[in-house]
Amino acid sequence: MNLEDELRSALRRQEASPDFTERVLARVAAAPVRRAPRVSQPWIRWVAAVAAALLLAAGGLEYRDYRGERAKDQVLLAVRIAGSKLNKAQRKVHMLAHRSNS
Amino acid sequence: MPRRASAPAAGFDFAGLVRQHQAMVFSIAWHMLRDRAVAEELAQDVFLSLHQHLAEMESPEHVQFWLRRVTSNRALDVARRRQRRPMVSLENAPEPVALTPTGDPLLGTALKKLVAALPEKSRAIVVLRYQEDLDPAEIARVLGIPVGTVKSQLQRALALLREKLSRSLGEIGI
Repeated sequence: MNLEDELRSALRRQEASPDFTERVLARVAAAPVRRAPRVSQPWIRWVAAVAAALLLAAGGLEYRDYRGERAKDQVLLAVRIAGSKLNKAQRKVHMLAHRSNS
Repeated sequence: MPRRASAPAAGFDFAGLVRQHQAMVFSIAWHMLRDRAVAEELAQDVFLSLHQHLAEMESPEHVQFWLRRVTSNRALDVARRRQRRPMVSLENAPEPVALTPTGDPLLGTALKKLVAALPEKSRAIVVLRYQEDLDPAEIARVLGIPVGTVKSQLQRALALLREKLSRSLGEIGI
């Protein structure tokens, strides 16, 4: 007796009941529809990650430009204020010089 | 794992897959559990799960591998849950009666009973080896265990079965 041959014979495949397929299909039809996962493919995740990185980079550049513009405006304002103060001081110096001469 | 894209997921005919693989799925469960009703219920659950994962299937080979893996693992779970109830171990199992060598249906029945008394993991290995004709490397992939474990458990299971059978054959003078 060959044990392995006997096992192959004893454990050969057997058919399920004749209506097995129909019962499976009925259960499938009755089962609630499972929603597919939102992101099922790895490449979609990569594309989403790259898009997010690009958006962040663009946003960062935009913000840097905005900060630059604001800084420029502030410098110009400071220069204007300093200029006006300087003009006032210059006018006072002229007035004092004019009085001492007369 | 076989994932060759020889057929697109959209091309799978689910009813055809059920018809094609029902004997494999049912028989793994049946030989693991020795309970026709439980085996059919488990097989139906496996196909229901396949339907839910059909979009992930990449080839007919992938479907077959997936079905073997899911059926084996679920049958192992059920067998482990059942083991909490008192069972007769292989060493203490009653000897099969009226054994005759090769091709005897009674010998087949006795062998099935002895296989059913093996520890769950060994049983799964024996079923996949002799029902599905898988080699140890394929069994290791299906069950997610090392090849060495498959080989050692298979040898041990065969030694136990041989010992039990030869004792029985000796007793009836064959």
